[in-house]
Amino acid sequence: MADKTRDCEPTLTDSDVLDFCRNGYLLLEGVVDEDVNRRTLEFVADDTYYEPTSILDEDWFMEGVVMNSEAAGAVRCLLGAGFHLPVLMSNHRVTGPYAGTGGWHVDGNYVFSPEVNYLQVFYYPQDTPVESGPTQVLPGSHLIRNKARFMGHLNGIRGAVPTTSPAGSIFITTYQIWHRRGPQSDSRLRNMLKYVYWRTAPPRRDWIVEADFDFATANYGGPSAAFVEQFRGDAKCAEMFLWLCGRHEDYQNLGGQSWPLPAHRNDVPYGLPEGLPRTLSAPTG
Amino acid sequence: MTAPQQHGLGLLVDQLQRGELTEESLRRGVADIVGWNGQGVQDLLYLQAASSTPAAQVVGMMWVEGGQVKELPPDPDDWPYQTVLAAISDRWSVISFPEMSLLTMSDKEFHGLGFQFILERRS
Repeated sequence: MADKTRDCEPTLTDSDVLDFCRNGYLLLEGVVDEDVNRRTLEFVADDTYYEPTSILDEDWFMEGVVMNSEAAGAVRCLLGAGFHLPVLMSNHRVTGPYAGTGGWHVDGNYVFSPEVNYLQVFYYPQDTPVESGPTQVLPGSHLIRNKARFMGHLNGIRGAVPTTSPAGSIFITTYQIWHRRGPQSDSRLRNMLKYVYWRTAPPRRDWIVEADFDFATANYGGPSAAFVEQFRGDAKCAEMFLWLCGRHEDYQNLGGQSWPLPAHRNDVPYGLPEGLPRTLSAPTG
Repeated sequence: MTAPQQHGLGLLVDQLQRGELTEESLRRGVADIVGWNGQGVQDLLYLQAASSTPAAQVVGMMWVEGGQVKELPPDPDDWPYQTVLAAISDRWSVISFPEMSLLTMSDKEFHGLGFQFILERRS
């Protein structure tokens, strides 16, 4: 069996990784070359099966999409060095117009957890304006438990966003983020290729470290705040971020106004886990 | 008044305006209108609110009208109702309130979307 682990240069900073923890996804617009988009469209025009997995045997696709420097660099930051490559390719092909939407769901075999051991990634080889029914995601929903069969009664959700994007865009998601297909008003064929990477190494903070990134004052709040008890989203986001930093055993929430709540304090936040860096140039703790 | 009742009333008004309304047709028409009370297709409105009060902002909505899921404006600010109270003011009746036993679940975990009210009316 061929080695399917890879490494590459990390591309995300502390702030980028924290944004991913807040939102549950990351959109990289137009990062794939036009020629690779064209070849991909030609490939899936021939292989219309919903799982055109043999595209993973094409060197041009592996280099241009799966190991695309920006996308793989982001995957490298979130899953660590030696991440495992996809072994399955799905393609969601829809020809419009299609007035309805897909139902909100989380994909099967999800695990709601602060751990990030795998990533679900989507690639649009063609321009996908809102008229073409791009996938909608609910930012922050990766922190809110749900079950696909209990989501059938959901339709409009305040805060949901369409992943409208130009050709060659890749978006990287936490597997358990809530999503659905958007309504399609144009008559174009929309392809959306979907695949998964896995972690093989323990988590640690080996992305691009920002000299002024301060764990004590970082804003852990995000869009989940609209749906959960006050500050619980901050706590969950901070726990996920510390897990990614390899510091999950240090995570604590001592209640009240303690870390990681946002506040205008006169000192180090009470409950800041010992040993967390304030900034690279400041003392720890 | 439901849509069938409004239709029946319209027929009576038409007959009246044409000078064709008789005692018999009036009695039959009123009986029909009364008989249609509570009938008609049940429309449903699922509203997920930000808290358990019906005055809270709606964060999610599904509208079933005439047996079909109705398309909503993409911008939530354009949804027909921003609160459960606004829907009640438009003749919707609450038939299900948020399940308060959810309070017994973990303080640290959250499940599902908001606080769900289900409302109905007849069309």
